[in-house]
Amino acid sequence: MATTDNEVKELIKREYEHGFVTEIESETFEPGLNEDVIARLSAIKKEPEWMLEWRLKAYRRWLEMDEPDWAHVGYPKVDYNSISYYSAPKRKEDMPQSLDEVDPELLKTYEKLGIPLHEREKLAGVAVDAVFDSVSVATTFKEPLAKAGVIFCSISEAVHDYPELVKKYLGTVVPQGDNFFAALNSAVFSDGTFVYIPKGVRCPMELSTYFRINAANTGQFERTLIIAEEGSYVSYLEGCTAPMRDENQLHAAVVELVALDDAQIKYSTVQNWYPGDEEGKGGIYNFVTKRGACIGKNSKISWTQVETGSAVTWKYPSCVLRGDNSVGEFYSVALTHNFQQADTGTKMIHLGKNTTSTIISKGISAGKSSNAYRGLVKFGPGAEGARNFTQCDSLLIGDRCGAHTFPYIESKNKSAIVEHEATTSKVSDEQMFLCRQRGIDPEQAVSMIVNGFCKEVFKELPMEFAVEAGKLLEVSLEGSVG
Amino acid sequence: MKSAPMLSSAFLHPAGQSLPQPLLALRKDRASALVDMPLPTRKTENWKYSSKYLKLADDMAISLPADGTVGSSLAVPGYKVVFLNGVMIPEASEYPDLDGILIQSFSDLDDEQGQALAEQLGRTLNHDQAQFARLNGARFEDGLLVRLKPGAVLDQPLFVIHETTADASGSAYPRILVEAGANSQMTLVEEYISQGESAAFTNTVTEFTLAEGANITNIRLNMEGENVQHIGATGVVQQRSSRFESHCVGFGGPLRRHDLQVRLEGEGAECKLNGVVVTQGKQHYDNHTCIEHIAAHCNSEETYRNIAADQSHAVFNGRIHIHQDAQQSNANMNNKNLLLSNGAEIDTKPELEIYADDVKCAHGATIGQLDETSLFYLVSRGIDRRQANVLLTMAFINELMQQIPVEAVRETAQTRLNEFFEQTFQEA
Amino acid sequence: MLSIKNLHASVEDKEILKGINLEIKPGEVHAIMGPNGSGKSTLSQVLAGNEAFEVTSGEVTLNGENLLDQETEERARNGVFLAFQYPVEIPGVSNLQFLRTAVNAMRKHKGEEDMNAAEFMKLAKEVSKQVDLDPAFLKRGVNEGFSGGEKKRNEIMQALLLQPKLAILDETDSGLDIDALKVVSDGVNALRSEDRAILMVTHYQRLLNHIVPDYVHVLAGGRIIKSGGRELALELEEKGYGWLGIKDEASN
Repeated sequence: MATTDNEVKELIKREYEHGFVTEIESETFEPGLNEDVIARLSAIKKEPEWMLEWRLKAYRRWLEMDEPDWAHVGYPKVDYNSISYYSAPKRKEDMPQSLDEVDPELLKTYEKLGIPLHEREKLAGVAVDAVFDSVSVATTFKEPLAKAGVIFCSISEAVHDYPELVKKYLGTVVPQGDNFFAALNSAVFSDGTFVYIPKGVRCPMELSTYFRINAANTGQFERTLIIAEEGSYVSYLEGCTAPMRDENQLHAAVVELVALDDAQIKYSTVQNWYPGDEEGKGGIYNFVTKRGACIGKNSKISWTQVETGSAVTWKYPSCVLRGDNSVGEFYSVALTHNFQQADTGTKMIHLGKNTTSTIISKGISAGKSSNAYRGLVKFGPGAEGARNFTQCDSLLIGDRCGAHTFPYIESKNKSAIVEHEATTSKVSDEQMFLCRQRGIDPEQAVSMIVNGFCKEVFKELPMEFAVEAGKLLEVSLEGSVG
Repeated sequence: MKSAPMLSSAFLHPAGQSLPQPLLALRKDRASALVDMPLPTRKTENWKYSSKYLKLADDMAISLPADGTVGSSLAVPGYKVVFLNGVMIPEASEYPDLDGILIQSFSDLDDEQGQALAEQLGRTLNHDQAQFARLNGARFEDGLLVRLKPGAVLDQPLFVIHETTADASGSAYPRILVEAGANSQMTLVEEYISQGESAAFTNTVTEFTLAEGANITNIRLNMEGENVQHIGATGVVQQRSSRFESHCVGFGGPLRRHDLQVRLEGEGAECKLNGVVVTQGKQHYDNHTCIEHIAAHCNSEETYRNIAADQSHAVFNGRIHIHQDAQQSNANMNNKNLLLSNGAEIDTKPELEIYADDVKCAHGATIGQLDETSLFYLVSRGIDRRQANVLLTMAFINELMQQIPVEAVRETAQTRLNEFFEQTFQEA
Repeated sequence: MLSIKNLHASVEDKEILKGINLEIKPGEVHAIMGPNGSGKSTLSQVLAGNEAFEVTSGEVTLNGENLLDQETEERARNGVFLAFQYPVEIPGVSNLQFLRTAVNAMRKHKGEEDMNAAEFMKLAKEVSKQVDLDPAFLKRGVNEGFSGGEKKRNEIMQALLLQPKLAILDETDSGLDIDALKVVSDGVNALRSEDRAILMVTHYQRLLNHIVPDYVHVLAGGRIIKSGGRELALELEEKGYGWLGIKDEASN
């Protein structure tokens, strides 16, 4: 049996594919954070006064807050003054007017990432907003989207062009002082995506953003705001990669979703930030606050995530189910390997009547990693007839890793029903033997068994992403068999 | 940052000095470690849901006197030891002098025995999780030592009645240590009761060490009065192939807290933990359990049920921790909760922390109300609604009640449950 | 085709097989009978290469090639098929995906092109009918929630798909009712061919009424203590294992 384990170990090694650095001229701030830096940032972006005030207010809140230490992760303290808070590809003019004006090096980068940025690559029907380091570089498909009335642009543009919408919703789902990282993001967010789906509109294509951290010693603080008006629908995908660097890099994003009556938002993430090397050196600190508010009745927000990257992950995509009959969903696969640490899960806050939520979480730990599910299911006194079903399963590959489950379940309404189940198991020797007896490679066998374990989550992903996710898992598992 | 409230220094001064010298020294030593002990707040993870119920006024620091009259005259089907406010009352106790079995109060020990005991006390517990066991260590006035020699079998259950007399405000610090030799066997029943209407505080510690093959059953029945706050901790350490079975039945109060920590240190050790909690009015009850699988091939099975009525609040936090070398562990935890009223609250947190890969672990938790379909079915058969409610509520915990191996305890608990049903389900 | 010489094997330092000798020629069907604990299942697991068992000495060759040197999957690709006594569940992995992966692994080994999904689906449906399994089973997880009989039929279906040189059937009859036994036996009989050897391991002889073996061997205490033709099985059935001086715990 020991041999099988060894073979499994052999299988989990493969190098990080997206670890290239792009040689482009960029304009980067000196490391350090103070009110002047924020003012400079705001000035570069030609922001209105109210935006700067908003940032400064958040910054002052942040100064009074402590970095959270309750998660099941350990990492050396981040020196927030050694990070640069702005890095942008240098441009001769202001913003590129079309793709032709974008730095060819940059376009090559996206080609390497397999992003269909060019028009001719649009077959997938994906409109891409690509955020490179701190700024949004190019947004495709603006026209067909505009025809449908959909606004899909960088948050910086939105601040200029749609200030009323931004003012109305920014910080309403994740308040500035919500937590340490959200406060920091609110002060220094450099760019991000803004989506507005008008009343009754079904967004004609899937929207997508690719994030990439390129420059060294920079933090990435993007901010995403998606508003789905009454009866509208949007499916949004995000993908993330970063180059291989020995230093840890910080990523502290905030995502806010707002769904009004009968609106639906489907938010999918494939996160593959650089996880660090085999010795645990380098990698991204991924401290992200994602939250959706189902304000309207019959609204629905689904989070689907496949997380294989980052050195340390601290992330709990949540739903506040305020509207009666609103629905929250969380489907997650989190894979950790080598020295990766993840503390991730979700919060489902049931406030309205007959609200329902489903949580399916699949954690896979390999190597010396630590993988924790942390979730909150809460029924307020008004959550008459509310329901939750939670299933969290952990799969262990190797005997040096950890798999943990920390669910918090709170109910103040007697008619609300919650069911929670969790299991922990390993890829069994018997399963491996069966596969190999049928002639299947051990590597392929592990990947097949792990994919089977994650099936319930993968089927929630849009088709192209599901394929990518399966492959990503295979790559991430290499050399883990053990 | 606002500074956290501290335990009042009034709590650091025990009254009785009748213990052997080494235990007095131990107590003093423990008290010095308690200076500046922060009281739990909402931010203290293991007191998150319960800190608001904890109200330790200075007048509660006074040790309740041990010279009152014993209120309970329970006839028990077994041996009996009675403690009044944490001090043993020999006249009210009836236990045999059996070969191989020592049953003795701490204050009857000589200095040498006291020294040996001082080295054992508190070793089964993780005090960072059960913070108030430290306070007991600094305040106990007496205690019960049960020592079973290898192979000794106690033929009848030993009932330990802990009575708190709250005629005036004050506190009591009962303590028990059971050392079970190889292949020994006994059933220990702890009953916590009270008389008097003043605000009182009971702070208990019960410890069990099980040598190879020992087999211990522990029943804990908490039925103290409406004004008694109770914080208890039970620590269990098990060696190879030993078996520990626990049945905790608790009725709510202004603050009720029980920490149950089991360490499976020897291969093949097994534990089974059952618990039933019932709260009503504005009562509270919080069970925290932690099972640590340290050795390989151990099994644990945990089943807890909470019922909360009116504006009451029940909390369950179960933790299974599988250490790296604990391969081939089997651990199951199941927690079901019944919320009988919209004013009531139930919080549950079933946790798994796993560092070994060849394990089978599962937990399940549910919160819900009585099933409307079942209710309708019963009513449609002519059973009145109130009775149907009682039947279904009882059914929710019946399986666990029936597993309690001492009939007298089942009856006592049932009588109290009937009162609960009476008060909770009104005639239509 | 299969040649076993003085095979010794142990599990957790306990010797189970204590010198097995066996020769099987193409086209032959051999039955190994024996009481529980005699080492029957160990023999099938060792031949298939389960690493839980350690071969301490002896030699096994398949068509002249040393089998013991090969990894489990190499043996499979070289034509060794084991129908498991207790088929394993793999949740979430569909039978179809599993089988196609296996078939394509074999094809790749033989230097053939992968079979595409449509082609494979057609083939799988045909074979599933042969063992009376509803093709809907193909879409379910491998053995997930299958009844005992369904699992066994699934095993035989895999043998029909993979077309092995040597099929080892480990207690394939256990847990089957008489109808299922018939279906499974028909499947096995369909496997019989000139260039294929079949090794059946069984406790009872009732399977042998449906699949008539060429040779019967009695395994006890880790050794083959008696070999003979079909009639040996009948004699065993009549007289019990006690006849050969073997204790059989299961039949008590």
